[in-house]
Amino acid sequence: MRYLSAAFRDVLDGRRRRPAYKVYAWDPATVTISEIASATSSLSSSIPTPLDITPYVSEITWSDKQLSFTMVDARNLFHPDTGGYRNYLGDGAILRLVEGDEMLSETDWITSFTGQIHGQVGWKKARNTGNVMSKVSVFGRAETQAFKRRKITTREYTVGTDLGVALYDICGTYMGLTSSEVRIPFTLGRQFKHQTNQLSLVSPWEGISSLLEVVCYLPVFDGEGKLTYVNKSFQRSPAKMIEDYISCVESEVPENSQDGINKIIVKFLDATLERVDSPYQKLGEAQVTTGFFSMGEELDCWWSEDHKQRADGTTMQVVKSVNSGLLPVGTESYEQKDDFHGTIEVEISVWVPILATVMALEYVAAAFIPDNVIVFGFGGSAGVTIPLGRVLQAQAMLGIMLIMMSIGSAQYEVWGTPFDYAYLEKKSIAIEDGLAYWLESEKEINNDFIGTHDQADTIAMTELIWEKSQTRPRRIVIEDDPSLEVGDIVGIPDGRKILITGLSKKIKRGEVPSLVIDGCKVMTP
Amino acid sequence: MSIRKIIDWAIQEAKTTQTGTIASEFYEYQDASGSWVWACDVDIGEDDLLTNVPVTSNNREIYYAEEGKGVNLSRLGSGKWAITGLSKTLNSTVHYTYLTFADDMWEITHTELRGNTYRPLTYGELGTLVAPYGYGVLPYGVRGKFNADGIFFEIVER
Repeated sequence: MRYLSAAFRDVLDGRRRRPAYKVYAWDPATVTISEIASATSSLSSSIPTPLDITPYVSEITWSDKQLSFTMVDARNLFHPDTGGYRNYLGDGAILRLVEGDEMLSETDWITSFTGQIHGQVGWKKARNTGNVMSKVSVFGRAETQAFKRRKITTREYTVGTDLGVALYDICGTYMGLTSSEVRIPFTLGRQFKHQTNQLSLVSPWEGISSLLEVVCYLPVFDGEGKLTYVNKSFQRSPAKMIEDYISCVESEVPENSQDGINKIIVKFLDATLERVDSPYQKLGEAQVTTGFFSMGEELDCWWSEDHKQRADGTTMQVVKSVNSGLLPVGTESYEQKDDFHGTIEVEISVWVPILATVMALEYVAAAFIPDNVIVFGFGGSAGVTIPLGRVLQAQAMLGIMLIMMSIGSAQYEVWGTPFDYAYLEKKSIAIEDGLAYWLESEKEINNDFIGTHDQADTIAMTELIWEKSQTRPRRIVIEDDPSLEVGDIVGIPDGRKILITGLSKKIKRGEVPSLVIDGCKVMTP
Repeated sequence: MSIRKIIDWAIQEAKTTQTGTIASEFYEYQDASGSWVWACDVDIGEDDLLTNVPVTSNNREIYYAEEGKGVNLSRLGSGKWAITGLSKTLNSTVHYTYLTFADDMWEITHTELRGNTYRPLTYGELGTLVAPYGYGVLPYGVRGKFNADGIFFEIVER
């Protein structure tokens, strides 16, 4: 609801109105629309003095998005090629409509439109009638295509930063708005939930729309050319109550032949990465060959060739052990080092190399033991020798062979549960109850700035109620009330309420305009 | 039928990618042309699974995909979906809020949490699901559908 001074309010309430208006124009070469919207008033000393084109203006048609009027320009002042004031109606020229009452000073008046001319105005001179006419259309700030076409990538915002910070950044950096041109709270009460957050390859308008979507707001520019919002929630008091049908010139229920949305799907990414387990399975295998003196082997076992696969709860299964021979010659152990790999350790007992060494030495030493020869018979030269040294050598060789038989190759497998991390895509769906599957008409909202299911539930519900409300359009015509703005709620005499989605009127000198309110029925719990 | 409805359908039809969750083991499947392709079932968050979803050829990253992993699906020219890659996002739970509208009033009738998971039954479940018979009724490896609260819903048959 637009602020009106007490004096203006008194005039409206007193119903003794003498409506007045002024149309101001600025040359875009001397000032920007941002400077004008930031200034405290149209006649502020901080901006160039505007050209008052009110005397040339007639047949004004006003809406919240567009201002159109006819210029009567007998002296060719605004001729697009030769007019002395042509820059005031040229491409990018800034125009403002200021409305008030003749009984009030202009400081009490309100600015109901701020916009720019796009392209070239129409201008016509007819010799037979002598009329010099110019048709002018001025568009609101939201109609600037640059806000909606150019793609931007914002800086990075850390977790916990309020969404309002990003919104003000976009407004300042990519839309050229100063903080005094933005009437949206700096703190929206919702924070970024992800570790890193950036808006990438979206238009500035899409960017601020998606940020405001989290709090169920719609961005709009008001009459002063400042960025504000419409709250999609109907949980607020009416800005105006129309007590009786006397002040209501017309009341209309327009035809609506479109199928309405009856299902809203809100999708968002959960802020935390969720661990996703795969089935328990073999992750890797290892083979080892041990020797007498190797003492031990250490084998790294990775869960994937690229060393990227994560796994948990891993265990080693021995397919073939180093101890599968006659003697236990060592120990086999396994340890998971990190999420990506583990180590298999085969340790050969100390006695094995010692025994092997002793046996080898004994085998060599035994070779030096002389053989005892025992001669049988009477002075004979023939006899039988018992090779004691060979026996000892054979014992040593047996020991070595025993170890050789005991040590060899071993084979292991590592089993476990592979896992990875993924962002969970969550949904909140608000749907009309009792709806047959084939009657669902859905609308999908994707917004990763939503942090929790509760927030998403609220958005889905608010959006569904908003959409259902849009299918019940209403139109009323009342005596002009300059305080009303798009997004306001008005109460009508039968007790129902209407949300204003559009405003329009035709302004004539000395006449109280009829304000056409386009809206939809407010739905309440 | 309104133009808007038709446009909505057209937008839905034009949707060329989506994410899903692998809901079965990979198996060989003979397509209409008689070729054998690797395929699996995919949960796309609807009541029923997408079955026999082929893996696009030469896609090595799918090699590591297992039941429960997120995958990207692309719509082929024939309109059929195929697995084209691994996804970093995974479909999760869905909150449903049901509302009724009467005149200018609305009311929440009830809310519901949805989101199924598919996995092989554990040893414990195999022994207890079909009371009082215990082990032996259900074969090892049989898979089940569980709701968002982890409660067993039904056996999934192939």
